[in-house]
Amino acid sequence: MKTVSFLVSFLKYSLSFILVLGLWEVYARYGGLNELFLPRPSKIGAKLYSLFVKFEVIEQGTIYWHFFATLAQMSIGFVYGITIGTTLAVLAAFNETFRRYVAPYAVVFNVTPGIAVLPLIIAWFGFGWESKIALATLVCFFPPFINTLTGLLKKNDEAIELFQTIGATQSQYFWKQQLPNALPEVFAGLKLAITTALLGTIVAQFGSATEGVGILMQRFAFRLDMAGSFASLVTMAIMGLLVFTIAEVMDRRIVFWRDAKGLERVSKKKQRKLMVNG
Amino acid sequence: MSYSTNQPTKNISLFKTLPFHLLIFAALIVIWELTNLYGFEDQIQADMIAPRPTNIVLAMLDILIVDKTVWKHLISTFQKALLGASIGTAIGMGLAIAATLSLTFRKYIKPWIILMEATPRIAVGPIFVALLGFGLWSAVALAALVAFFGPFVNTFQGLMEVDDEAEEMFRSLGASRFQTFWKLRFASAMELISAGWKLATASAFGGALVAEFIQASEGMGVLIAQYVIMITMDYAFAGLLSVTIFGFILFKIMDYFDYRLIFWKNDYLLLKESEKRRKKAGIVS
Repeated sequence: MKTVSFLVSFLKYSLSFILVLGLWEVYARYGGLNELFLPRPSKIGAKLYSLFVKFEVIEQGTIYWHFFATLAQMSIGFVYGITIGTTLAVLAAFNETFRRYVAPYAVVFNVTPGIAVLPLIIAWFGFGWESKIALATLVCFFPPFINTLTGLLKKNDEAIELFQTIGATQSQYFWKQQLPNALPEVFAGLKLAITTALLGTIVAQFGSATEGVGILMQRFAFRLDMAGSFASLVTMAIMGLLVFTIAEVMDRRIVFWRDAKGLERVSKKKQRKLMVNG
Repeated sequence: MSYSTNQPTKNISLFKTLPFHLLIFAALIVIWELTNLYGFEDQIQADMIAPRPTNIVLAMLDILIVDKTVWKHLISTFQKALLGASIGTAIGMGLAIAATLSLTFRKYIKPWIILMEATPRIAVGPIFVALLGFGLWSAVALAALVAFFGPFVNTFQGLMEVDDEAEEMFRSLGASRFQTFWKLRFASAMELISAGWKLATASAFGGALVAEFIQASEGMGVLIAQYVIMITMDYAFAGLLSVTIFGFILFKIMDYFDYRLIFWKNDYLLLKESEKRRKKAGIVS
């Protein structure tokens, strides 16, 4: 039953999608659209075909290489960013003095549009991968920082009382109450960070680069090869969806207690394990 | 026993902490200055990586007051960002209102919205620049495209979360559909909506700057890039700082408008407003 309703809604969505594309194609074919402004879907499709299936080489690499380069730069920047962000947040959560005197800088830092630092970053780190990684790190460190901090500072008085009455130690309190309590927020921060890291990487590639989807986009657009630039946009959308889905799945697996279904699944598993052992 | 992270934050007045804040800030600046002077073997390299704070301050004075070079670019960027944010907000809120009012529209728009969210929208920049030119409109279009999402999500979420009891009350008072929408849904969503405006403004700045980096004739993106190319890093920092300062002022102004506009969230303003309305209606208490 569930699969049937899923199939029906999937069909409906894809139908509406195809309908929109079809209307666009027909309208463009009868001269309603300036081809320079919005290329026909069939042309974009043909370009995608030649890029992905025929391994057309552009800017010293196939699209797979550019895809991989962007993804790698983004991931490294993301890892740096969340490491810095969460470390600062944990320090700030456990040390009031640190929180009081360091948090304002983080906030001021956040008011500056991180993207505006791009020219400086290129001057410092050069035209290679480093500058892309640095910009991705810079733009993505703030959401994990602020979310981890609010998550760790959030407190539940009744839970604290319960932990006190059963005589839990500080570390038990941290691992069993404070951290699980904070994780949903932490993951919300990570999800924000991963999309901004992608954005930072692509923007840095606009600045100057030899590889990456961003530079492909720019080259195509400046040659007024609109089909090509829309094809690279589609590639970026695919990358965005991929990254977003990974983050979503990880969120659902790790923070299983957020929704009732996940909670039930895990507690059943734990029950079964207990039955086997005892 | 109590757990160290959960002690209430002590309320120390700003009067007491301010000297320490200033002290820490001054210490940082001094360390920075000394690093520049003695930390590098090569002075050019030092000015490249960490230009002296005193030079940055001098550069700021120069571009803001003496030479006044920054104003033209600052105004241009702010104009692009604010225009883009307004257009993006109008589109985002319009879509959100349509999505709350019509179930069918909501259902069909959903996959498109997910697709839009996952695509790094700023990446459309080169297309816009190639099509709309180097001037104002390519930056405005990119800013609007980047900005529309925040207001959309926030407005949608705010309008969908309605207190059931309040809705019942509206029904029993015989409120019209428009009244329920305007006085209940919209009013209770107002807080989230204004948070969406702020999100839109922040991201519109990103959009405007990226369009300027790609290619433009004026704007802070162009100015900062020029300073970096001329290897006058102190000026680049000064430009960056002016964006920060004026952005901060803009956000403070928005905060104030928030505070006045959503008067029902603040007890004092609420009392004043209801007093005013009572007088207007001729009710003497």
